[in-house]
Amino acid sequence: MEIAIKTNVLATNDQLAAQNKDIFHRAGITALNIMGSPGAGKTTLLERTLERLKGQLRVGVIEGDIYTAKDAERIEAHGVPVYQINTGGACHLDAQMVQKALPHFNLAQLDLMVIENVGNLVCPVEFSLGEEYKVVVLSIIEGDDKPLKYPLIFKESTAAVLNKMDLLDFCDVNLVNLKRDILSINPEIKIFEVSSRQQTGLEQWVEWLHTIGKKSG
Amino acid sequence: MHEMSLMASIFDILTRHLEDYPGVTVKKVTLRIGSLTNAVPEALEFCFSAFAQGTVVEGAQLEIIQVPIKIKCRECQQESEPVEFHFRCPGCGSLAVDVTQGRELALESMEVE
Ligand SMILES: Nc1nc2c(ncn2[C@@H]2O[C@H](COP(=O)(O)OP(=O)(O)OP(=O)(O)O)[C@@H](O)[C@H]2O)c(=O)[nH]1
Ligand SMILES: [Mg+2]
Ligand SMILES: [Zn+2]
Repeated sequence: MEIAIKTNVLATNDQLAAQNKDIFHRAGITALNIMGSPGAGKTTLLERTLERLKGQLRVGVIEGDIYTAKDAERIEAHGVPVYQINTGGACHLDAQMVQKALPHFNLAQLDLMVIENVGNLVCPVEFSLGEEYKVVVLSIIEGDDKPLKYPLIFKESTAAVLNKMDLLDFCDVNLVNLKRDILSINPEIKIFEVSSRQQTGLEQWVEWLHTIGKKSG
Repeated sequence: MHEMSLMASIFDILTRHLEDYPGVTVKKVTLRIGSLTNAVPEALEFCFSAFAQGTVVEGAQLEIIQVPIKIKCRECQQESEPVEFHFRCPGCGSLAVDVTQGRELALESMEVE
């Protein structure tokens, strides 16, 4: 006997994500889901960003890590509220983990919630967290073949941060091709070319955060 | 390997449905997986066997229906399948296209005996 089921496998996660989205919305918070390979520079970018947003936007940070609290400690040093989620082996955050993290924040006091996902270019993008925007951080040394190899993360992201631009002359990446492929997958994506180490190109990125992070009403 | 999480959800849904059919064994489970998703069929099969072990699903066949990516143009309404992830309308060249198919991660059906 054949039994029709026709159910979205991610239905439960999507429901919880919708609840998170509602919680963020009611608190007037813009939530970002920052994704990218291990070592792409997500935490470094975030640190440089926090320094620039200080006194202007109130930011909370959720750090996703498989086992450690290293990134959360780096963020804590900047004096912003941070909560560490250890996924205990899982390669991505999910909506339930984020929901459990939210009571650890005074949401009324925040404008922006930045969620740094587990370092991984593949898995996190499938799991909505209730964020308003997905952001992919790609360090250019990872190679210009990455967009076509991992199109979904570029398709679903509103912004792509191309990090480690200071290493452009030291690797064989073709920046023109890299940007062409990203834009062919997602013509509307915003591309920021930055070096989090040398602190270049961060102005436009920070300006974008200002536009999306303003409290509405 | 997020296929492990996907498979956990699949088995949650299967278990819920199986409550209505006590005593049956599952012969086949069918999934619809869009080509734009990151779910790898081999990984799904591996996780399927792992979850099935010791349950009424053990030994069942896993059928994966791959769903190709389709886009629809917002300007001229033409539907097409993008080549090499180029999300652009082949009819009018517009970049204003919506993905209408290819994001599926669905548990379609099961066959029981
Ligand atoms: N040259 C260069 N190095 C950078 C830059 N940004 C980050 N790094 C270095 O890259 C390494 C990884 O940076 P992280 O910020 O920890 O990367 P991450 O993406 O948060 O890594 P995970 O959280 O482990 O996935 C560190 O050694 C950083 O100092 C950059 O713009 N240029
Ligand atoms: Mg990090
Ligand atoms: Zn068209």
